[in-house]
This record gives sequence, structure tokens and C-alpha cells, in this order.
Amino acid sequence: MRYDAIVVGSGITGGWAAKELTEAGLTVLMIERGREIRHQQDYTTETKAPWDLPFRGLGDAELYRQQYPVQMLNRHFTEFTQGHFVNDAENPYTTEGDTAFTWFRSYQLGGRSLTWGRQTYRWSDYDFGANLRDGHGTDWPIRYADLAPWYDKVEEFIGVSGTAEGLKQLPDGRFQPGMALNAVESHVRETVRARWPERCLTIGRTANLTQAKPEEGRGPCQYRSICARGCSYGAYFSTQSSTLPAARKTGRLTVITDAVVEGLDYDATTRRVTGVRWIETKTKTRRRATSRIVFLNAGAFNSVHILLNSANEAAPQGLANSSGVLGTHIMDHANTLSALALMPGWEGHTSFGNRPTGAIVARYRNMDTMDGAGHSRGYSFQGGAFQTTWSAGRRDAGIGADYKEKLRHPGMWRMVLVGFADCVPRAANRLTLDRARTDTNGLPVLNVQFAFGKEEHAALAQAKADAAEMLAAAGGQVIAGSDQPGPGGTAIHEMGGARMGHDPKTSVLNRWSQAHDAANLFVTDGAQMSSSACQNPSLTYMALTARACDAAVSMLRDGRI
Amino acid sequence: MGGAALLALALGIPAAAVRLSDLPDEDAPSDRQRSLLREVSQLVIPRTDTPGAGDVGTGDFLALALAHGLSGSRAPVASAAMPNLMRHLRPDGSLRHVDWLEHELDRRAGGDFLAPKADRVRALTALDAEAYAQGADDHPWRTIKTLVLTGYYTSEAGGSRELRYELVPGRWDPDLPATPQTRAFSSDWTAVDFG
Repeated sequence: MRYDAIVVGSGITGGWAAKELTEAGLTVLMIERGREIRHQQDYTTETKAPWDLPFRGLGDAELYRQQYPVQMLNRHFTEFTQGHFVNDAENPYTTEGDTAFTWFRSYQLGGRSLTWGRQTYRWSDYDFGANLRDGHGTDWPIRYADLAPWYDKVEEFIGVSGTAEGLKQLPDGRFQPGMALNAVESHVRETVRARWPERCLTIGRTANLTQAKPEEGRGPCQYRSICARGCSYGAYFSTQSSTLPAARKTGRLTVITDAVVEGLDYDATTRRVTGVRWIETKTKTRRRATSRIVFLNAGAFNSVHILLNSANEAAPQGLANSSGVLGTHIMDHANTLSALALMPGWEGHTSFGNRPTGAIVARYRNMDTMDGAGHSRGYSFQGGAFQTTWSAGRRDAGIGADYKEKLRHPGMWRMVLVGFADCVPRAANRLTLDRARTDTNGLPVLNVQFAFGKEEHAALAQAKADAAEMLAAAGGQVIAGSDQPGPGGTAIHEMGGARMGHDPKTSVLNRWSQAHDAANLFVTDGAQMSSSACQNPSLTYMALTARACDAAVSMLRDGRI
Repeated sequence: MGGAALLALALGIPAAAVRLSDLPDEDAPSDRQRSLLREVSQLVIPRTDTPGAGDVGTGDFLALALAHGLSGSRAPVASAAMPNLMRHLRPDGSLRHVDWLEHELDRRAGGDFLAPKADRVRALTALDAEAYAQGADDHPWRTIKTLVLTGYYTSEAGGSRELRYELVPGRWDPDLPATPQTRAFSSDWTAVDFG
């Protein structure tokens, strides 16, 4: 089998690679390790009510403890969505020493594009310049201007609702109308803005449509907020709703599911990848195909796994690893509930519908003034105000008719601010192959070594104080808050491991997401990231993928690869 | 057809909701315990202009949920804090909540909580007050009451008649007037999660 391009993975970036490469005229083989999930037809729990399910939507906790001990910690993991997450027992990984790392995964067609939080933010030059400025990690070989047109392209296609705010640290994009803040959030926005003009609370920029995209068969959001079950309206961006149909329309896409890539073949003479090898998981049969270019989009950690597992005589430390930095400098946002407050005085207000995004407070520290206490980067908040419902009754004494009557009505407004702190890239935070343990396909499992450092702890301490003072200023009674990050992986923004850089001696990829050691190999998922910023990374992955596809096609046409 | 399926038919609730027949013997409630769980559910959420929790099968849901560890109910308990839990522990250190509750309520009712003359409201109210006193955060009654609420408000009657259930709102109204009569939505997933 020979194709122009092979794309490994079908998630947020794999879908984009398949779309861009097929639309440019290339024949593409997309290889997905998990099962097929068809848009609309296979969202089996989408319209179910809690009373239709054996465990009422909470799921079988005993089963989860045994089979899904990591995935069950994900807030989006429920009885409705468990089919969109991996079985941990069947997909093991190991951790090194004291490492606590929760690796949330979705092995299926569409990958985590089906279950993602859909938060969609541009990065700025505060982010692309961060490593150069404070000396952590290696300098990004690109800046905002390199990516801006690709952000435009991606936003217009996937559909992003949001409100333009003119912030330098969080550049505006090509937005559909933003969803509205509720009454309490609007009040907090105005209060905070009056007292701290540099702090902007705005609606989450989200890949949920507020206007239909009929040309792509996608309808507007129905305000159900059950996205991770799968959305037959196609109202949020997923591979299934958006990039896969576009790639299929070209007639040049071949998709294989239930096929886990074992490694890439490499010719040291030509310095080219010469083939992709995979195992059909249902039959345990080995297969191989060749192509002119290869895009790795298996998800940050799994793309690194493939490269490490592709070691051969010419590349004994792993493919594209002459630098020795492959697997190092992994990151995830340090993430915690910075503040939770009761918001009295809003009992006369309520809302209708389930908005599928919260509010955010954009970064405001360490921009033009270095005002971080013990850290040199940024943090931002995501959260929002909501009214409680029946589940709040578990905290209250009482039984009987009066108790029931109280739970019949919406409870008091609350507001949460969850802090996301920039994670400094460190060499000691790294992925290796655990040669002592293999998975059901006989492949070595991934070993994760990860810890947050003093910078992240300092940032979350300042975030906790800031969050409390903002909510208190708006009349809130702060009842909880933390400055301790959850385990690595909590933010589900694990990234790095095949970082981009200027120098082949200290980085894996160049400015085109192209391997320094193999000109026809591109890694365009989270693995390529050289720093983490403090905003959600998926949009940047997509823009980098579209940009790398354009570069790869040009290089192919010019005969350079 | 097993007993659980018959019960489901009798109550008109989906068979999917009840799988007592799948429980291992040691976690399967006795007939008396099933009656007790139904009664306790009904006392927490009684019948008003909508059904009560016992009416809609919450008793059997409790048995299922407690056997399967929902709401942390199979986590090892710190029995040092409550020595009277010791006799109801499983070998793994988790509490057999149903056995404990039966024993506890019988004791408080002077022998038989289900006896016609027993003051069940008083016994359960006293237990509830103790469980919600300062410093009693880990009290097993809190776990059971949490699951009574879950069982009721995720039932069709609790979720869509007592409260409102709207799978497809179709719009977002960010600011509407609320009155003391405004009904909550069981389909407000964020509120359920974070409430």
C-alpha cells in the first residue's frame, strides 16, 4: 500500500491533517488505534435520560474502580460518556517514583475531539516569547505573526463563538457571536473591571456554534451541555462533525480503525521515514504501508511513544532523537479550584438552558510588568456562576415535606474560579518506554515522570489570593479555595516531548513542525509544544497542523521532500 | 423472570434501573431490608403532589448503589471515629451500609423500626440531626441520604415531575426573573455536578 501521506491519529489534529492534505490533492491513509464511531449513528447515549441507565448516569463505581481508576477522575466521565474513554486496565502506563499523573485518554475515531472541553484560545507573543524571556526551555522558532493567518483559517472552519475584547495577551479571533454571561457573571465582570482594569472576565471562547454552518451540515448549539456524549446537531467541533466529512468529500481519504501504530521505518542514508507499521488489534496481524510524508497526530504522549519505539541501529535512542531531548520537557497546566464563593443577593435571577461554556478571566500577570510573586509566567481562570439544584441537598440536614419543597427550587448562586497556571518546561519531566511491561499488543508501555515545581506552586498561590479578592469584591462569600495543583494530567493539556526549536542539537522539530532528523516526518499534535502558556492549547495545535500541512505540500511540490 | 424484574413491572419503572438479582448474596438485601430502604426513602422524600422516593423504587436503587460503591460508599471507613460501625464492616474495611442502617434504626425505634407503632419520623430525624452535627462529615447516613436524593431526582417522576427536565432547551436565556415558585431543572447538569 502506498499513499502520498499517512496520518497517525484521528483526533483534533489528525482530522485537520487529513482535511488539509486531501484538499491539497494528496491521497491520505489515516490510522486510528481505537474503534470506529460514526457521526450521529453511534452516539448511543445522546438522548438518554438518567432513568434510562442502570446507574442513573453516575455509572457503576465498582466497575470504574477496577477498570477505569484514572478515567473516572475526569469530570466528563460518566455513565453516559464512559464509551468515549479508554479502559485503564486494558491500556496501562507506569509512573516513575513519586509521580502522580492522571492520563485521560479516548482511543476511538475522533479521539478526544469527542470529549474535549471545546475552549478555544489564541496564544500571544507573551506565550511564544516566554522561554526566551525567562530562560526556561528553548526558544520557540515562531511568533504570533507566523500563526495568525492559520488561526483565522481554523476558527472560520471549526466555528468559534466568543466576544472580542481587544486583549493583547488573548488575541481576538474570527468569532461567531459569543454566548451571554449570566446576571451574576456580568456583575462580577463589571465589578472586577472597575477595580482592576487589567483583569478581563469574558465568556469562554468555545467551539460550539451559535450560528449554523449549513454548508457543512452543522446546526447551532441547542444548549444541552451534554457534548461529550456526541452531538448529532454537529454543533461542536469534532473530527466527526467537521474535518472528517471535509476530508472524505475529496475522495482521497482512507481510514483504518482498530490499528495501533507500532513504529516508523527510517532510512539513515536518505534521512527519510520509509514506512509505517501497525498492528490490527482485533486480529493481532502486523501491517505496513509507505508514503511520501508522515504526520504524527497520535496525541502528545503517544506520538512520543511511537518515536521512542521506532529506535533502530541508525537511531538507537529513538527516531528523530539525535538531540536526546525526545520525551523530555513534558508539561500540563497546574490546575486547581482557586475559589468557590456563595453569591447572595441574586435570588431574583435565574436562567434557562445549559450553556456549554463558562466564563474566563484572561491572564493579567507578568505581561509588561513582572508582577508575579515567585513566578515569571501567567495564570488564568475558568469558571462561572451557577445555581445549585437537588444535589446540594446532601449538605443539608432535614427530611420530609419541607426538605422536599426546598429542593424543588433553584438554590443559591455560587461562583467558581478554577486556576490554570503556565507550566515551566523541565528536562526532568519526561516520557520513557517501560521495557519491563508490555500492553496487550506486546508494545512497551509508556512511563511518565512528572512533578510541578516552585513556579507553578507560586502561581497558584497568587491565583488563589486573586480569585478570592475578586469574588469578595463582587459581594461573594468565599467558602473554599486551593493553591495545590491536582496531579499532572488534571488539566488534560499534557503536551511537549518533541519540542520545536531552532537548533537540531536541542530540539526535535523545526519551525514547520518537521523533524530535524527526517524531512518527511511532521509531528503536529501537542508533542511539538515548547512551552505551555496558560490557556487551552487545542486551537494552537490545529493552527500549527494546518500550517505544517501547507509547508509539507509546498516542499513536496518543490521536490524538497 | 426474577424478583427484581417483577418488581420493576409492578412499579412501572424501567427494568434497567433495578438489577438486584445481579448482586452477590452478601450484598443482596433481605425482604425486610428492602422494606426498610423503601420506607426510609419515603421518609426523606415523602409523597406530596408528586410521588415520594419510596414510591418510585429508590429503596431498591439504594441497595444497588450501595453494593456498587456509588458516592464513595465502598471506600474504607475510619471506624475509629465511630466504633459502632465495626460490626458492619466488610473484610476490605468498607461499611455494609444497609446492615448498619437497619441496626441503627431498629435501635433508635426501640427494637423494630418497621413496627406499626414505631415513631419512624422521630427516629430518622434524630439520626439525621446527628449526622449533620458539626464534625460529622463522614457519617454514613450522609452517604445514604445522598443516594436517596440521587435515586429520586434521577427517576422519571423526581426528575421530570417534581423538577423540570428539558433535554433540548434549544436556547440560552441568561437572565430571567425568578420567584419562590420557580422550579429547578434536573437537566441542569452543571448544577447537579457542582451543586
